[in-house]
Amino acid sequence: MITVRNLQKHYGGAPVLRDLSFSVEEGEIFGIVGHSGAGKSTLLRCFNGLERYQGGSVTVMGKDVAALDDAGLKLLRREMGMIFQNFGLMGRKNVLENVAFPLQIWASAGNGPTAFLSGLRFWRGPSKDVTARAMEFLELVGLADKRFERVQNLSGGQKQRVGIARALALYPKILLCDEATSALDPNTTMDILDLLQDINSRMKLTMVVVTHQMEVVKRICHRLLLLDKGVAQCLGKTEELFISAPEGLKKFVEDEFTLIPSGTNIRMMFPRDISQEAIITTMARDLDLSFSIVGGKLERYLDDVLGFLIINVPDEHLDAVFRYMREKNLHWEVLGNGRNAV
Amino acid sequence: MAEMLFSALYETLYMVFFSSLFSAVGGFGLAILLIMTGPHGLRPNAKVYAILDIIVNLLRSFPFMILMIALIPFTRIVAGVAYGSTAAIVPLTIAAIPFMARLVEGSLLEIDPGVIEAARSFGASDRQIIFRVMFKEALPSITLNVAILAITLLGYSAMAGAIGGGGLGALAYNEGYIRFKSDIMFFSVVVLILVVQCIQSGGNYLYKKLR
Repeated sequence: MITVRNLQKHYGGAPVLRDLSFSVEEGEIFGIVGHSGAGKSTLLRCFNGLERYQGGSVTVMGKDVAALDDAGLKLLRREMGMIFQNFGLMGRKNVLENVAFPLQIWASAGNGPTAFLSGLRFWRGPSKDVTARAMEFLELVGLADKRFERVQNLSGGQKQRVGIARALALYPKILLCDEATSALDPNTTMDILDLLQDINSRMKLTMVVVTHQMEVVKRICHRLLLLDKGVAQCLGKTEELFISAPEGLKKFVEDEFTLIPSGTNIRMMFPRDISQEAIITTMARDLDLSFSIVGGKLERYLDDVLGFLIINVPDEHLDAVFRYMREKNLHWEVLGNGRNAV
Repeated sequence: MAEMLFSALYETLYMVFFSSLFSAVGGFGLAILLIMTGPHGLRPNAKVYAILDIIVNLLRSFPFMILMIALIPFTRIVAGVAYGSTAAIVPLTIAAIPFMARLVEGSLLEIDPGVIEAARSFGASDRQIIFRVMFKEALPSITLNVAILAITLLGYSAMAGAIGGGGLGALAYNEGYIRFKSDIMFFSVVVLILVVQCIQSGGNYLYKKLR
């Protein structure tokens, strides 16, 4: 669907995107992850031509974005819906009018007499056909009963639902999500993510999700690209990346855990076939020793639980623990924390 | 005296209405150009923006009295005559266009850039963005600015008496001040106060309705 080759972008002299190459497959939810200022949103805007780039190429559905003229770009954008962190809704219009707006825009695009008439119509509000189509999507996002409500009176979650309905109104093939849940509280975030996932599986819509929130990635993204200062840190299937945990992702996921200064910190990974609560207690029992749990993160990913625990083992028991973990085929690694760096 | 007041009121409203109308349209057009070519505009163009910016500032620096006199030859071409209420509309409009442009520019700059970006993201053209997004979103604030414009033009129109524009200002000055008819002066001023009140209240009412 989208192929990016050696993409380069800079503002003035400052590089924003450095030599990015990857592709987004049809029907998948592709995550672009990173801290703010990593260049995620800029990258997303290169896909639909809202941002221009200086080097490399972006090909969307077979079209080279940089080579498109104004008209071509508009047609491409028609096939790519976009939702935003701050929703980008028109405050003076009601819910229905907001969703109908892109349809009206396209009804009156061009210069012919029909376009002119639809242009005049615009000031009187959406036509019957347009209203019907807008309502179809308002049903989908569950806001049909709020159709005459002013956008200003909606909650954040409802506003994003309107944004989603508007982005889908033109039957796009790709949906671009720019920090779509960053302005929402955790529960609403989950609702919106469920909705997006539902749309993805039902409509076979390809999605590119830009976010700095790990829960978004884990919950809905099939694959992810981690960006740091415009450089790709890692790229791959979300699940595999979470288990193999390459350096970049680790740095991104791990909040600073206060590591206990004495002993050795070991990080244990839990893929889906190992029940995490059991393994820790059995190990303690089998080896008849105690260790402390320094920190960890257990996360629901799609329908599985993934995560890691960092345990602190006194140096004298280290060998026994290593032997045990090897025996049980566990994923683990020793963390460098200064004195005990391995 | 009532007759004098009424005909002066008519002249004033005539001048203010048409010059407001023309300068609102012209000012909106100029504001669109400023916004389009401005640093975060749809078609950023530093040179065009700098030139427009200078022209606007230049016209706004002129004292209206001087501008009106300087424009007399131009007024004669446009209105056919250089004196009278109709002729006064020309310099009033020219003076108010840059003023209105700045007011509308401010209104348009207040629009959430996210709304404009969203419109671009689903393929709206520049023209559609200007009229269907920016104008629509900024309409309440533009309405308030039209009220400010009309009140400013009401003040300017008093000076139009200098080129025979007539109106309440001229009446207050010529009859009231020069001929020591304090009652005429008093009532002219009272009527002017009422007109200002009406324009402002009308603007506020529309703003609340539209918002």
